Amino acid sequence: MIDGIVEIAEDGRYLSVYRGFLVVADKEITLGRVPLADISALILSANQASLSKNLMVALAEQSTAVICCGKNYLPTSIALPYSGNYESGHRVRSQINASRPLCKQLWRRLVQEKIRNQGEVLSWLDIGESSRSVAAMERRVRSGDPDNLEAQAAKRYWRVAVRPGFVRDRFAEDENLLFNYIYTVLRAAVARAVVGAGLLPALGVHHRGRLNPFSLVDDLMEPYRPLADSVVLELCSEAEPVELTPKTKRRLASVLRLDLKMEKGRSPLCEVLHTLAYSLVQSYEDHAVHLRFGEMLLP
Amino acid sequence: MRTELSGYRIMWMMVMFDLPVVTSKERKAAGIFRKHLQNLGFEMAQFSIYYRVMGSKEIAKRYLKQIEEKVPKDGSVNILTITDKQYENMVCFTGREKVKPPEVLQLSLF
Repeated sequence: MIDGIVEIAEDGRYLSVYRGFLVVADKEITLGRVPLADISALILSANQASLSKNLMVALAEQSTAVICCGKNYLPTSIALPYSGNYESGHRVRSQINASRPLCKQLWRRLVQEKIRNQGEVLSWLDIGESSRSVAAMERRVRSGDPDNLEAQAAKRYWRVAVRPGFVRDRFAEDENLLFNYIYTVLRAAVARAVVGAGLLPALGVHHRGRLNPFSLVDDLMEPYRPLADSVVLELCSEAEPVELTPKTKRRLASVLRLDLKMEKGRSPLCEVLHTLAYSLVQSYEDHAVHLRFGEMLLP
Repeated sequence: MRTELSGYRIMWMMVMFDLPVVTSKERKAAGIFRKHLQNLGFEMAQFSIYYRVMGSKEIAKRYLKQIEEKVPKDGSVNILTITDKQYENMVCFTGREKVKPPEVLQLSLF
Protein backbone atom coordinates (compact mmCIF):
# COMPACT_ATOMS: atom_id res chain seq x y z
CA MET A 1 0.00 0.00 0.00
CA ILE A 2 1.26 3.42 -0.91
CA ASP A 3 -1.10 5.39 1.34
CA GLY A 4 -1.69 7.83 -1.42
CA ILE A 5 -4.09 10.73 -1.55
CA VAL A 6 -6.50 11.16 -4.42
CA GLU A 7 -7.80 14.65 -4.91
CA ILE A 8 -10.62 15.57 -7.25
CA ALA A 9 -9.78 19.16 -8.11
CA GLU A 10 -11.61 19.72 -11.41
CA ASP A 11 -15.34 19.96 -11.96
CA GLY A 12 -17.32 17.33 -13.81
CA ARG A 13 -15.44 14.23 -12.77
CA TYR A 14 -17.30 10.95 -12.46
CA LEU A 15 -15.93 8.41 -9.98
CA SER A 16 -16.74 4.72 -10.03
CA VAL A 17 -15.37 1.31 -9.12
CA TYR A 18 -13.99 -1.28 -11.47
CA ARG A 19 -12.81 -4.44 -9.71
CA GLY A 20 -10.06 -3.30 -7.29
CA PHE A 21 -9.82 0.19 -8.74
CA LEU A 22 -11.20 3.66 -8.33
CA VAL A 23 -11.85 4.93 -11.85
CA VAL A 24 -11.96 8.65 -12.57
CA ALA A 25 -13.66 9.73 -15.78
CA ASP A 26 -14.54 12.97 -17.50
CA LYS A 27 -17.74 12.25 -19.42
CA GLU A 28 -16.87 9.11 -21.41
CA ILE A 29 -13.10 9.44 -21.20
CA THR A 30 -11.29 7.56 -18.45
CA LEU A 31 -8.63 9.77 -16.96
CA GLY A 32 -7.03 7.21 -14.75
CA ARG A 33 -7.47 4.58 -12.11
CA VAL A 34 -5.96 3.96 -8.72
CA PRO A 35 -5.99 0.69 -6.75
CA LEU A 36 -8.50 1.11 -3.91
CA ALA A 37 -6.18 -0.44 -1.33
CA ASP A 38 -3.56 2.23 -2.02
CA ILE A 39 -5.79 5.20 -1.21
CA SER A 40 -5.65 6.51 2.31
CA ALA A 41 -7.91 9.47 1.61
CA LEU A 42 -10.11 10.78 -1.15
CA ILE A 43 -10.30 14.56 -1.06
CA LEU A 44 -13.12 16.24 -2.93
CA SER A 45 -12.15 19.85 -3.47
CA ALA A 46 -13.85 20.53 -6.80
CA ASN A 47 -17.26 22.16 -6.69
CA GLN A 48 -18.90 19.35 -8.52
CA ALA A 49 -18.10 15.65 -8.71
CA SER A 50 -20.29 12.58 -8.89
CA LEU A 51 -19.56 9.31 -7.21
CA SER A 52 -21.39 6.04 -6.97
CA LYS A 53 -22.62 4.38 -3.83
CA ASN A 54 -20.57 1.35 -4.83
CA LEU A 55 -17.49 3.51 -4.56
CA MET A 56 -18.41 4.74 -1.09
CA VAL A 57 -18.89 1.12 0.00
CA ALA A 58 -15.61 -0.02 -1.53
CA LEU A 59 -13.72 2.85 0.12
CA ALA A 60 -15.34 2.13 3.48
CA GLU A 61 -14.15 -1.46 3.21
CA GLN A 62 -10.58 -0.15 3.05
CA SER A 63 -11.29 2.29 5.89
CA THR A 64 -10.48 5.15 3.55
CA ALA A 65 -11.57 8.63 4.58
CA VAL A 66 -13.60 10.66 2.09
CA ILE A 67 -13.24 14.37 2.72
CA CYS A 68 -15.34 17.20 1.34
CA CYS A 69 -13.52 20.51 1.31
CA GLY A 70 -15.15 23.85 1.76
CA LYS A 71 -13.42 27.11 1.03
CA ASN A 72 -9.66 27.31 1.45
CA TYR A 73 -9.25 23.57 1.75
CA LEU A 74 -10.91 23.41 5.12
CA PRO A 75 -12.61 20.04 5.56
CA THR A 76 -16.35 20.35 6.11
CA SER A 77 -17.19 16.66 6.26
CA ILE A 78 -15.37 13.37 6.63
CA ALA A 79 -17.01 10.09 5.72
CA LEU A 80 -15.60 7.16 7.64
CA PRO A 81 -16.65 3.51 7.76
CA TYR A 82 -19.12 2.57 10.44
CA SER A 83 -16.97 -0.18 11.80
CA GLY A 84 -13.48 -0.92 10.61
CA ASN A 85 -12.42 -3.38 13.23
CA TYR A 86 -13.65 -6.74 14.42
CA GLU A 87 -12.99 -5.81 18.04
CA SER A 88 -14.56 -2.39 17.78
CA GLY A 89 -17.44 -3.05 20.21
CA HIS A 90 -15.03 -3.98 22.96
CA ARG A 91 -12.68 -1.13 22.15
CA VAL A 92 -15.38 1.49 22.02
CA ARG A 93 -16.55 0.37 25.45
CA SER A 94 -13.07 0.72 26.92
CA GLN A 95 -12.87 4.12 25.25
CA ILE A 96 -16.15 5.25 26.79
CA ASN A 97 -15.15 3.89 30.19
CA ALA A 98 -11.84 5.73 30.20
CA SER A 99 -11.61 7.77 33.38
CA ARG A 100 -11.26 11.55 33.42
CA PRO A 101 -7.79 11.36 35.03
CA LEU A 102 -6.60 8.99 32.30
CA CYS A 103 -7.90 11.31 29.58
CA LYS A 104 -6.12 14.22 31.23
CA GLN A 105 -2.88 12.27 31.38
CA LEU A 106 -3.24 11.34 27.72
CA TRP A 107 -3.84 14.96 26.79
CA ARG A 108 -0.79 15.95 28.79
CA ARG A 109 1.40 13.57 26.77
CA LEU A 110 -0.08 14.81 23.49
CA VAL A 111 0.57 18.44 24.40
CA GLN A 112 4.08 17.68 25.62
CA GLU A 113 4.90 15.94 22.39
CA LYS A 114 3.48 18.77 20.33
CA ILE A 115 5.44 21.42 22.23
CA ARG A 116 8.61 19.36 22.01
CA ASN A 117 8.19 19.06 18.25
CA GLN A 118 7.49 22.77 17.93
CA GLY A 119 10.74 23.44 19.77
CA GLU A 120 12.53 21.07 17.39
CA VAL A 121 11.16 22.89 14.37
CA LEU A 122 12.28 26.25 15.77
CA SER A 123 15.77 25.01 16.51
CA TRP A 124 15.89 23.51 12.99
CA LEU A 125 14.97 26.97 11.68
CA ASP A 126 17.81 28.25 13.85
CA ILE A 127 15.63 30.46 16.01
CA GLY A 128 17.67 29.68 19.11
CA GLU A 129 16.14 31.70 21.89
CA SER A 130 12.51 31.04 21.02
CA SER A 131 13.17 27.37 20.52
CA ARG A 132 14.56 27.12 24.04
CA SER A 133 11.71 29.05 25.58
CA VAL A 134 9.13 26.94 23.75
CA ALA A 135 10.90 23.67 24.54
CA ALA A 136 11.11 24.65 28.21
CA MET A 137 7.32 24.76 28.35
CA GLU A 138 7.16 21.04 27.69
CA ARG A 139 8.23 20.23 31.25
CA ARG A 140 5.62 22.51 32.77
CA VAL A 141 2.63 20.79 31.20
CA ARG A 142 0.47 19.33 33.94
CA SER A 143 -2.23 16.71 33.74
CA GLY A 144 -5.03 17.98 31.50
CA ASP A 145 -2.95 21.09 30.70
CA PRO A 146 -4.89 23.42 33.03
CA ASP A 147 -2.46 26.28 32.33
CA ASN A 148 -3.18 25.94 28.62
CA LEU A 149 0.49 25.78 27.75
CA GLU A 150 -0.55 24.38 24.40
CA ALA A 151 -1.95 27.76 23.40
CA GLN A 152 0.92 29.68 24.98
CA ALA A 153 3.51 27.64 23.12
CA ALA A 154 1.56 27.94 19.87
CA LYS A 155 1.42 31.72 20.26
CA ARG A 156 5.19 32.00 20.62
CA TYR A 157 5.77 29.44 17.92
CA TRP A 158 3.63 31.08 15.23
CA ARG A 159 5.08 34.50 16.03
CA VAL A 160 8.50 33.40 14.77
CA ALA A 161 8.13 30.25 12.71
CA VAL A 162 6.93 31.46 9.31
CA ARG A 163 7.91 35.10 8.79
CA PRO A 164 7.46 38.38 10.65
CA GLY A 165 3.86 39.47 10.42
CA PHE A 166 2.46 36.03 9.68
CA VAL A 167 -0.76 35.14 11.44
CA ARG A 168 -2.24 31.66 11.39
CA ASP A 169 -5.70 32.38 10.04
CA ARG A 170 -7.62 29.57 8.44
CA PHE A 171 -9.44 31.88 6.08
CA ALA A 172 -6.48 33.89 4.81
CA GLU A 173 -5.28 33.39 1.25
CA ASP A 174 -1.50 33.40 1.84
CA GLU A 175 0.74 30.61 3.20
CA ASN A 176 -2.26 29.67 5.32
CA LEU A 177 -3.64 27.83 2.29
CA LEU A 178 -0.64 25.52 2.40
CA PHE A 179 -1.13 24.89 6.09
CA ASN A 180 -4.85 24.18 5.53
CA TYR A 181 -4.04 21.72 2.79
CA ILE A 182 -1.39 19.78 4.65
CA TYR A 183 -3.51 19.62 7.83
CA THR A 184 -6.41 18.26 5.76
CA VAL A 185 -4.15 15.50 4.46
CA LEU A 186 -2.86 14.81 7.96
CA ARG A 187 -6.35 14.81 9.45
CA ALA A 188 -7.50 12.28 6.86
CA ALA A 189 -4.64 9.92 7.65
CA VAL A 190 -5.24 10.19 11.41
CA ALA A 191 -8.97 9.57 10.86
CA ARG A 192 -8.16 6.41 8.96
CA ALA A 193 -5.85 5.19 11.72
CA VAL A 194 -8.45 5.92 14.41
CA VAL A 195 -11.18 4.01 12.59
CA GLY A 196 -8.75 1.21 11.69
CA ALA A 197 -8.03 0.75 15.39
CA GLY A 198 -11.75 0.37 16.10
CA LEU A 199 -12.09 3.62 18.03
CA LEU A 200 -14.88 6.17 17.95
CA PRO A 201 -13.58 9.36 16.32
CA ALA A 202 -16.23 11.48 18.02
CA LEU A 203 -14.99 10.72 21.53
CA GLY A 204 -11.88 12.76 22.14
CA VAL A 205 -9.54 12.80 25.11
CA HIS A 206 -9.49 16.59 25.25
CA HIS A 207 -11.37 18.19 22.36
CA ARG A 208 -14.97 17.88 23.44
CA GLY A 209 -16.69 20.28 21.13
CA ARG A 210 -20.29 19.21 20.92
CA LEU A 211 -20.30 19.93 17.24
CA ASN A 212 -17.03 18.22 16.40
CA PRO A 213 -17.55 14.61 15.37
CA PHE A 214 -13.79 14.13 14.98
CA SER A 215 -12.54 15.21 18.37
CA LEU A 216 -10.25 12.22 18.77
CA VAL A 217 -8.76 12.80 15.33
CA ASP A 218 -7.98 16.40 16.26
CA ASP A 219 -6.42 15.27 19.55
CA LEU A 220 -4.14 12.72 17.98
CA MET A 221 -2.96 14.91 15.13
CA GLU A 222 -1.61 17.65 17.42
CA PRO A 223 1.91 16.21 17.88
CA TYR A 224 2.38 15.89 14.12
CA ARG A 225 1.36 19.41 13.18
CA PRO A 226 4.94 20.68 13.61
CA LEU A 227 6.18 17.97 11.25
CA ALA A 228 3.63 19.12 8.69
CA ASP A 229 4.70 22.72 9.33
CA SER A 230 8.29 21.80 8.56
CA VAL A 231 7.24 20.64 5.08
CA VAL A 232 5.47 23.96 4.44
CA LEU A 233 8.41 25.94 5.80
CA GLU A 234 10.84 23.99 3.66
CA LEU A 235 8.73 24.82 0.62
CA CYS A 236 8.55 28.50 1.54
CA SER A 237 12.32 28.69 1.92
CA GLU A 238 12.84 27.35 -1.60
CA ALA A 239 10.59 29.59 -3.62
CA GLU A 240 8.72 32.86 -3.25
CA PRO A 241 5.85 33.28 -3.47
CA VAL A 242 4.50 29.80 -2.89
CA GLU A 243 1.24 28.96 -4.57
CA LEU A 244 -0.93 25.92 -4.26
CA THR A 245 -0.04 24.33 -7.60
CA PRO A 246 -0.33 20.60 -8.31
CA LYS A 247 3.43 20.34 -7.74
CA THR A 248 3.17 22.03 -4.35
CA LYS A 249 0.26 19.79 -3.43
CA ARG A 250 2.35 16.71 -4.20
CA ARG A 251 5.08 17.94 -1.87
CA LEU A 252 2.54 18.66 0.85
CA ALA A 253 0.84 15.29 0.50
CA SER A 254 4.24 13.62 0.78
CA VAL A 255 4.21 14.38 4.51
CA LEU A 256 2.60 10.98 5.06
CA ARG A 257 5.68 9.22 3.70
CA LEU A 258 8.18 11.07 5.87
CA ASP A 259 10.09 8.78 8.20
CA LEU A 260 9.97 8.99 11.97
CA LYS A 261 12.35 7.26 14.33
CA MET A 262 10.70 4.41 16.20
CA GLU A 263 12.15 1.99 18.75
CA LYS A 264 12.81 -0.46 15.93
CA GLY A 265 14.21 1.61 13.08
CA ARG A 266 12.39 4.11 10.91
CA SER A 267 8.83 4.08 9.78
CA PRO A 268 6.80 6.43 7.57
CA LEU A 269 4.23 8.69 9.25
CA CYS A 270 1.24 6.89 7.70
CA GLU A 271 2.30 3.72 9.52
CA VAL A 272 3.33 5.49 12.73
CA LEU A 273 -0.23 6.83 12.98
CA HIS A 274 -1.55 3.28 13.16
CA THR A 275 0.96 2.50 15.90
CA LEU A 276 -0.19 5.58 17.79
CA ALA A 277 -3.87 4.61 17.47
CA TYR A 278 -3.15 1.10 18.76
CA SER A 279 -1.08 2.48 21.61
CA LEU A 280 -4.14 4.54 22.58
CA VAL A 281 -6.26 1.38 22.56
CA GLN A 282 -3.69 -0.22 24.90
CA SER A 283 -3.80 2.83 27.12
CA TYR A 284 -7.59 2.60 27.43
CA GLU A 285 -7.45 -1.09 28.21
CA ASP A 286 -4.61 -0.86 30.76
CA HIS A 287 -5.79 2.42 32.31
CA ALA A 288 -2.27 3.82 31.88
CA VAL A 289 -0.58 6.02 29.29
CA HIS A 290 1.32 3.99 26.68
CA LEU A 291 1.29 6.43 23.78
CA ARG A 292 3.94 5.87 21.13
CA PHE A 293 4.67 8.79 18.83
CA GLY A 294 7.97 8.22 17.05
CA GLU A 295 10.64 10.89 16.88
CA MET A 296 10.52 13.54 14.21
CA LEU A 297 13.51 13.64 11.83
CA LEU A 298 14.15 17.06 10.36
CA PRO A 299 16.47 17.52 7.37
CA MET B 1 14.38 18.12 0.02
CA ARG B 2 13.48 15.06 2.02
CA THR B 3 12.80 11.94 0.00
CA GLU B 4 9.40 10.61 0.72
CA LEU B 5 8.98 7.62 -1.59
CA SER B 6 12.19 5.62 -1.40
CA GLY B 7 13.02 3.73 -4.57
CA TYR B 8 14.63 1.04 -2.46
CA ARG B 9 11.60 0.46 -0.30
CA ILE B 10 8.90 0.51 -2.96
CA MET B 11 8.44 -2.82 -4.69
CA TRP B 12 6.92 -3.83 -7.98
CA MET B 13 5.33 -7.21 -8.41
CA MET B 14 5.01 -8.77 -11.85
CA VAL B 15 2.74 -11.77 -12.26
CA MET B 16 3.34 -13.69 -15.46
CA PHE B 17 1.22 -16.65 -16.30
CA ASP B 18 0.62 -19.25 -18.92
CA LEU B 19 -2.72 -20.92 -18.38
CA PRO B 20 -4.36 -23.51 -20.61
CA VAL B 21 -7.50 -22.22 -22.32
CA VAL B 22 -8.53 -25.19 -24.45
CA THR B 23 -11.61 -26.45 -22.60
CA SER B 24 -14.30 -24.13 -21.26
CA LYS B 25 -13.42 -25.21 -17.72
CA GLU B 26 -9.83 -24.10 -18.22
CA ARG B 27 -10.93 -20.80 -19.72
CA LYS B 28 -13.14 -20.18 -16.73
CA ALA B 29 -10.31 -20.95 -14.30
CA ALA B 30 -8.00 -18.58 -16.17
CA GLY B 31 -10.66 -15.87 -16.15
CA ILE B 32 -11.21 -16.20 -12.41
CA PHE B 33 -7.48 -15.88 -11.79
CA ARG B 34 -7.23 -12.77 -13.96
CA LYS B 35 -10.18 -11.15 -12.20
CA HIS B 36 -8.65 -12.01 -8.85
CA LEU B 37 -5.51 -10.10 -9.86
CA GLN B 38 -7.62 -7.11 -10.90
CA ASN B 39 -9.53 -7.19 -7.62
CA LEU B 40 -6.18 -6.98 -5.86
CA GLY B 41 -5.35 -3.87 -7.87
CA PHE B 42 -3.07 -5.39 -10.49
CA GLU B 43 -2.95 -3.69 -13.87
CA MET B 44 -2.40 -5.46 -17.16
CA ALA B 45 1.00 -4.75 -18.72
CA GLN B 46 0.50 -7.19 -21.55
CA PHE B 47 -1.71 -10.23 -22.06
CA SER B 48 -0.83 -12.63 -19.24
CA ILE B 49 1.44 -10.12 -17.50
CA TYR B 50 0.07 -8.07 -14.61
CA TYR B 51 1.90 -5.65 -12.38
CA ARG B 52 1.35 -3.70 -9.21
CA VAL B 53 3.35 -1.29 -7.10
CA MET B 54 3.57 -1.81 -3.33
CA GLY B 55 4.80 0.24 -0.39
CA SER B 56 7.22 -2.27 1.07
CA LYS B 57 8.56 -5.83 1.08
CA GLU B 58 6.20 -6.77 3.89
CA ILE B 59 3.18 -5.68 1.88
CA ALA B 60 4.51 -7.58 -1.14
CA LYS B 61 4.61 -10.71 0.98
CA ARG B 62 0.94 -10.27 1.87
CA TYR B 63 -0.05 -9.97 -1.78
CA LEU B 64 2.06 -12.97 -2.69
CA LYS B 65 0.06 -15.05 -0.24
CA GLN B 66 -3.24 -13.76 -1.59
CA ILE B 67 -2.23 -14.68 -5.13
CA GLU B 68 -0.96 -18.08 -4.10
CA GLU B 69 -4.37 -18.97 -2.69
CA LYS B 70 -6.01 -18.59 -6.09
CA VAL B 71 -3.42 -20.05 -8.44
CA PRO B 72 -5.25 -22.38 -10.90
CA LYS B 73 -4.60 -26.11 -10.83
CA ASP B 74 -3.03 -26.28 -14.29
CA GLY B 75 -0.61 -24.00 -16.05
CA SER B 76 2.30 -21.98 -14.71
CA VAL B 77 2.43 -18.71 -12.81
CA ASN B 78 5.68 -16.80 -12.27
CA ILE B 79 5.85 -13.97 -9.80
CA LEU B 80 8.75 -11.54 -9.72
CA THR B 81 9.19 -8.81 -7.12
CA ILE B 82 11.76 -6.07 -7.68
CA THR B 83 12.55 -2.67 -6.18
CA ASP B 84 11.43 0.58 -7.77
CA LYS B 85 15.10 1.32 -8.52
CA GLN B 86 15.37 -1.82 -10.61
CA TYR B 87 12.01 -1.19 -12.22
CA GLU B 88 13.21 2.24 -13.30
CA ASN B 89 15.73 0.57 -15.62
CA MET B 90 13.00 -0.94 -17.73
CA VAL B 91 13.02 0.28 -21.31
CA CYS B 92 9.55 0.45 -22.82
CA PHE B 93 8.59 0.74 -26.47
CA THR B 94 5.17 1.38 -27.90
CA GLY B 95 5.46 0.94 -31.63
CA ARG B 96 8.92 2.38 -32.23
CA GLU B 97 8.48 5.12 -29.69
CA LYS B 98 10.14 5.01 -26.30
CA VAL B 99 7.77 5.68 -23.41
CA LYS B 100 8.43 6.15 -19.73
CA PRO B 101 7.36 3.41 -17.30
CA PRO B 102 4.59 4.50 -14.93
CA GLU B 103 5.70 6.62 -11.99
CA VAL B 104 4.88 6.18 -8.31
CA LEU B 105 3.06 9.19 -6.92
CA GLN B 106 1.88 10.11 -3.48
CA LEU B 107 -0.89 12.32 -4.78
CA SER B 108 -3.12 11.68 -7.77
CA LEU B 109 -4.92 14.77 -8.98
CA PHE B 110 -7.90 14.57 -11.27
